Amino acid sequence: MAKKSVWSDNRFWQRSAAWVTGFASILLIWLTFDTSVQIAMGTDADLQNGVTKRVPGPTVINYKITYEMSTARGHEVPVIGEKELFFGRDDYSEEEAGALLHLGKLGSQTKNCMNCHTLLGNGAYYAPDLTKAWLDPAWGPEGSMQAMTGKETKEEAMAEFLQHPSTYPTHARMMPNLGITAEEAKGLVAFLKHMSSIDTNGFPRNFGKIKGAVHGK
Amino acid sequence: MFEAMTDVVPSFFAWLNQGPLTLTIFLHTIIILPMFWIYKQEKARLESES
Amino acid sequence: MASNHLTGIGSESKQLATWYFTFAIILFGAQLLFGLVAAIQYVMPGFLFELLDFSVARMIHINALVVWMVFAMFGSVYWLLPDETGIETVGIKIGKLLYWVFVAAIVVVVLVYLIVQVGPADEMSIWFIHEGREYIEAPRWADWGIVVVALGFVANLFMTGIKGKQTGIVTVLMADMLAFAGLYLAGMFFTDNISVDQYWWWWVIHLWVEATWEVFVGALAAYALITIIGAKRQVVEMWLWIEVAMLFGSGILGMGHHYFWIGTPEYWWEIGALFSALEPLPLVAMFIHVLYDWGKETGLQMAEGAEGHAIAGHTITNKPAFTWIVLNAFGNFLGAGIWGFFHTLPQVNLYTHGTQFTSAHGHLAFFGAYATILIGMMYLAIQGTNGIKVLKHTKSSIAGIWMIAGGVMGMGIALTIAGYVQVLVSRAQMGATWAGYFDGQSGMWFSQAMDWRLIMGVVTFLGFAFLIKDFLSTGKNPVHER
Repeated sequence: MAKKSVWSDNRFWQRSAAWVTGFASILLIWLTFDTSVQIAMGTDADLQNGVTKRVPGPTVINYKITYEMSTARGHEVPVIGEKELFFGRDDYSEEEAGALLHLGKLGSQTKNCMNCHTLLGNGAYYAPDLTKAWLDPAWGPEGSMQAMTGKETKEEAMAEFLQHPSTYPTHARMMPNLGITAEEAKGLVAFLKHMSSIDTNGFPRNFGKIKGAVHGK
Repeated sequence: MFEAMTDVVPSFFAWLNQGPLTLTIFLHTIIILPMFWIYKQEKARLESES
Repeated sequence: MASNHLTGIGSESKQLATWYFTFAIILFGAQLLFGLVAAIQYVMPGFLFELLDFSVARMIHINALVVWMVFAMFGSVYWLLPDETGIETVGIKIGKLLYWVFVAAIVVVVLVYLIVQVGPADEMSIWFIHEGREYIEAPRWADWGIVVVALGFVANLFMTGIKGKQTGIVTVLMADMLAFAGLYLAGMFFTDNISVDQYWWWWVIHLWVEATWEVFVGALAAYALITIIGAKRQVVEMWLWIEVAMLFGSGILGMGHHYFWIGTPEYWWEIGALFSALEPLPLVAMFIHVLYDWGKETGLQMAEGAEGHAIAGHTITNKPAFTWIVLNAFGNFLGAGIWGFFHTLPQVNLYTHGTQFTSAHGHLAFFGAYATILIGMMYLAIQGTNGIKVLKHTKSSIAGIWMIAGGVMGMGIALTIAGYVQVLVSRAQMGATWAGYFDGQSGMWFSQAMDWRLIMGVVTFLGFAFLIKDFLSTGKNPVHER
């Protein structure tokens, strides 16, 4: 009888498959514990003490957020700066800010944002990515979107747009009216502001930095 | 070859991630290595059977 | 062994399989229809605006996709189980009851999607309308229904596998389907932290389509090679174990390629990059395996003459099914392997993440890896239930294959071109803002790509019509050998 090679032996491959699958699964679970700690939401105390969290606490809406190049890490990171008014206040308590974020996150799901937009780059590709939408210059003081809604601040302009999206078309492709109430809009803007403060390892690259060079502007 | 860790939070996996592909080569190696042991066992079994 | 699949008549398990296949193909039609609506909206944005918006059309498009595949997968298991184990499926009455529960739940969910569409921002909407999480939008009540149905299905499989003959294929299926059902639980909670939300969301999506579903396809291909061309079980099952090792070895930690930019730590760059870069390897192996066995069995047939071979006079006993399975081997490698590898490295993914590139990959991979082999299984069921010895191609089966495969390939290429425009203009040049996004969308290459995508979508739909015609008529066609 010819000598049988281990390489064509079913038992060898069956045991290898079991080992590889089992060990990869254990590694994934271990990594999940490690990652879960790192992406747990921070607290108000963290923000006050300048502790950097990958996902800051909801009271980050009390602060100014920018997106700046970090030379150490080689990409842009969100930077939480001084206090900034959000719907006229900069003293939201942990509970108030948490409630707003809760409402906004619920709204982002029930209004089905993800089936047109991308959030953190995941979703549908029919409308702009919202990861850093809060930092989009178009909503800023000199931005076209803020001017279009006739509002004084970024958050009011965004909330106005969310409530009456088809009144303010920016393209032939418009956002439909989703019956978003004033309170829900406020929550959604808080959700967007919070999302812009998440450390996404430099995604998207060069967000809002490029102002010329295209179409001769 | 070894570079300063840039991960925001230091952790075991971040510590292994100190240069080009160090972490992933380490993980691949510890997955593949025990297969040699399985190979040897199965070879011994096949030889004793024949 | 090779002709056991002819015993379709009289097996309740196989009857249930045909029920599952029937509803699967209806949902496949719904998937294509709502996909067409969404494709039209890219070209004519006013189409059904504020009646059936893109978000709703797309939600039904991708949900119908997932659900028809799950139905066809359950059906495939109920079909092959009596052949593999040598006994009738245990608990088949409960299986049949759960089938109707599943169908009823799906119908209600889709009707609510269509009629209610969106609800206020509260927990009630999550429980009773939809969860707004891509691919697993099904409302929470339906989640629990799905869990119950899946548990019943897994119980059927386990009881049958333990009582009957437990082949390598059945062993792989048992482990795989348990993981497949269990992973769904990872997608059934609400959190305010979107990073945590997406972390677990990928546990369902990635570990389904890039791990458990792929292994399932490996098991189906093994079964199909044994039944259609009479390949040797020992060799086929060896390949299956190699594929399991490679698929799970690369796929489980390959999950890292979804954790580059969602707030998760930087070490995922490395883990995701190299593990997922190896994901195409098992897909190449599967392709080689199918071609190798095909060539080998043909060679044996020629050398030994008609009598020497397991199936007298024919290498291939089901031409359409085998064509779909070869298409699967190639499409899996091309759509999931090549198109996936295109954008899996973080340096590339930084610019391609969240663009039509992903969409191109999604279309080619879901079709190439899953739709093809599941359609192949449906042809096996048609052969079995009609007592056909050798099922041949008809004009409709050939037209269906060419138009569906060509149409999806065309869509994939069109979307890839659209993806390039988005990457270059919206991302690299314009820095991903709202204005940058629409600059990319307005480009000529982008809008023409979207026109082509729609045209190719229509071609796919016409191909689907031929496929349905063939499904309904081929069983009674006198060209087959009975």
